[in-house]
Amino acid sequence: MNRRGFLRATAVMAAGTGFVGPVIRGAERTRKYRVALLGSGWWGKNILTEAIASGECKVAALADVDASALEITSDRVQELSGDKPKTYGDYRELLEKEKPDIVIVAAPDHWHALMTIDALKAGAHVYLEKPTGHTVNESIAILRTARATGKTVQVGLHRRVAPHHLEAIEFLRSNAIGKVGMVRLFAHSGGGIEQPSMNEEPPADLDWNFWCGPAPLRPFNKRIHPGGWRQYLDFANGILGDWGVHWLDQVLWWSEETHPRQVYCTGGRAVRGPAVLNEKEQTTDAPDHQVATFAFEQFTCVWEHRQFAGNATEKHNIGAYFYGEKGVLHLGWRDGWTFYPSAKSGKVVHQDARLQEPDGHSISLLWSDFLAALNSERPPTANIEVAHRASLLPLLGMISWRVQRSIAWDAGSEQIPHDAEANRLLSRPYRAPWKYPAA
Amino acid sequence: MRSRCALSWILILCSAASLAARASDWPHWRGPQRNGISSETGWVSTWPDDPPIAWRAEVGLGLSSVVVSSNRLCTVGHVEDNDVIHCFEADTGKQLWTHAYRADLGDKYFQGGTTGSPTWEGGRVYWISRWGDVFCLKGDDGQVVWKRNLREDFAARVPTWGFSGAPLVHGDLLLLNVGDAGVALRKDTGRTVWQSENKDSGYSTPLPVRFGSDNNPGPWLALIASRQSYVAVRIADGKEVWRIRWLTQYDVNAADPVVLGNQVFISTGYGKGGALYDVGSGEPRELWKSKALRTQMNTAVLYEGHLYGVDGDTTEKASLKCLEFSSGKEKWSQPDFGSGGVTIADGRLIALNGSGELLIGPASPTGFETTTRAQIVGGQCWTAPVLAKGIIYCRNTDGALAAVNVRKSK
Repeated sequence: MNRRGFLRATAVMAAGTGFVGPVIRGAERTRKYRVALLGSGWWGKNILTEAIASGECKVAALADVDASALEITSDRVQELSGDKPKTYGDYRELLEKEKPDIVIVAAPDHWHALMTIDALKAGAHVYLEKPTGHTVNESIAILRTARATGKTVQVGLHRRVAPHHLEAIEFLRSNAIGKVGMVRLFAHSGGGIEQPSMNEEPPADLDWNFWCGPAPLRPFNKRIHPGGWRQYLDFANGILGDWGVHWLDQVLWWSEETHPRQVYCTGGRAVRGPAVLNEKEQTTDAPDHQVATFAFEQFTCVWEHRQFAGNATEKHNIGAYFYGEKGVLHLGWRDGWTFYPSAKSGKVVHQDARLQEPDGHSISLLWSDFLAALNSERPPTANIEVAHRASLLPLLGMISWRVQRSIAWDAGSEQIPHDAEANRLLSRPYRAPWKYPAA
Repeated sequence: MRSRCALSWILILCSAASLAARASDWPHWRGPQRNGISSETGWVSTWPDDPPIAWRAEVGLGLSSVVVSSNRLCTVGHVEDNDVIHCFEADTGKQLWTHAYRADLGDKYFQGGTTGSPTWEGGRVYWISRWGDVFCLKGDDGQVVWKRNLREDFAARVPTWGFSGAPLVHGDLLLLNVGDAGVALRKDTGRTVWQSENKDSGYSTPLPVRFGSDNNPGPWLALIASRQSYVAVRIADGKEVWRIRWLTQYDVNAADPVVLGNQVFISTGYGKGGALYDVGSGEPRELWKSKALRTQMNTAVLYEGHLYGVDGDTTEKASLKCLEFSSGKEKWSQPDFGSGGVTIADGRLIALNGSGELLIGPASPTGFETTTRAQIVGGQCWTAPVLAKGIIYCRNTDGALAAVNVRKSK
């Protein structure tokens, strides 16, 4: 009998005799947080791995509309912990039956609001992937629900706890680079013209209708799932809504600002070519480059990304340049941070990154911070207030890009002043039967 | 008496080897025996200076391996909106012909370009592109004997990274890893003989095997990686014989199975690992399972009871490893090898690491003591090196191809 067969047989025996596992581990297990994962793909599995590694969590259940993803992640949980989680196609059924203590939301962006709000209302604390929402009012609805339920939300802004980021922010605050007047954030990669790829029937083990959920139902295409959905605006917000959240958050963290006065964003698909979507084939539709200016009281912040030409002319492909009186600080990803002084006699200062590989993150630290917050009832570092403000920036950038003009943000009324068209884009229609969450 | 006979045979073999090195073609994916091992002997792997490069060429973007038959070398690469099938004189690098056709770059999660390898058989070249273009070309001049596109002909589902297995010629049939468990065409006309269900394929090359005993061999089977399983089908009619359910993240069942007798080793990447099965009774029975060897792309090579292969994905720095075949026990691991590949000949490992360095040393379970370490093509190398007729061919993803002369100087 192989291991899986053995476990199955044991489970049957346990059910038959009326107890659900070895008695000796019962006491230990009651102290553990019962964790459920909604969205069981690659990234969800990364987070879940850290939850198991913490030793304070037991994986109770997994949900995904892709049965293969469920099986792969379930096998991984068994390998790591010996526990066989229950698996669900419908996350609402999971929440109802399992009553988890912690829910990890790692489904694509268009699912964040519904899943997080349902989980909070079901009494769970939530570890939510960034960005908080796909549109602004979803993020506001999550924030309100978190406040109303009193439950804790940690958002996957792992750069908030990463060692080299902490050091760089400290360096900036020590005035070592002087007054900062401008910040440039960027994420560049190579790429070219995009050819449409053929639509096809979704595989039998994928509930494509449920996968699209509140977003428009479009023909299935392998470029979307698994892994490609960030480049489709129905489900996410391209590079600005992905990398942009991380780096814009660094600016809020460093400056202690809460929001920009004015946002203006331009961009398009200059190289990839026009977006295609018909019955036969489709391309992605996110812009292949964008430049967004965020005007703050004391400084200007510019975001830029492009998915062509790479960045061979500069030292770095990704990160933030803080331009100060005394020089430039680059805060990067795997390349750590480096201070390039303006004075010829100045000394270059550098610190390496210390990340978890192969995927270059700090989820282990962020998960520990989350558990520490739950155990001490303090807010976690990347809490929903912090993450809502960080997510707002790219979402406002996307609205400016769509209406092709500069917009302001009134944090008090949570409105874009004097711009009805832009305000309409704070929400979007949901596909029935799903209902846009009330703020 | 018996031992003296054996001894004399050894003497004869030894003297034959010392008189004339054995040379061999490499006409298809993973070499003449389809196991990553060349029968060549007497080649040299130490040089007084830099490695002697016989010739270099640029063949375009991709991972396609080279295949060599009758002093003709064939490989494929992507150049400016086209895939180009190249044919060179193997020992000089003189270009004999090319054949180009329009093709997408297909740069999803990697640089893109061609991923499969062509096949020589009977003086012809067979090839399937990532997008289902199948070609039979004349080896002399590259003229098209027949061609078809399986996506247009029967709406064949294309897996995420496109069709990547090399064509297998078996008798009159051309087997392709297309659909749930392969497709067979007539090799002379391209006409469909049988086809499996129209589901996503995996990325391996169909491997022809016969199980059973020497006295009572079973029918010829092809082992094929499907989207979520490894399947054995009868080559003659495509009938499924067994299936091992095998789920890998992103459905990347890419490495070929490794077969010894009635035992089948399967391994994939993305954290999955490998397992050894006994298929003697007809139904696969798991013998062991291990995470020690997770072959994402290139198949491990089995030599004298040990597997030599790359463990890990391109997103990390993969290791070169040796595992005992019977137990799955790890014998050694060389970190930071990268996602390259290995070939074995004359008891030596010929390893091209992920950054274009050629490493040669005895294939031994006690460790990898390299006698040769030389930078050959640089860049990123995900393609296993090939040894044919005294030349080691190394290729990087950008398409730099180098022919290293390892012939004994006369």
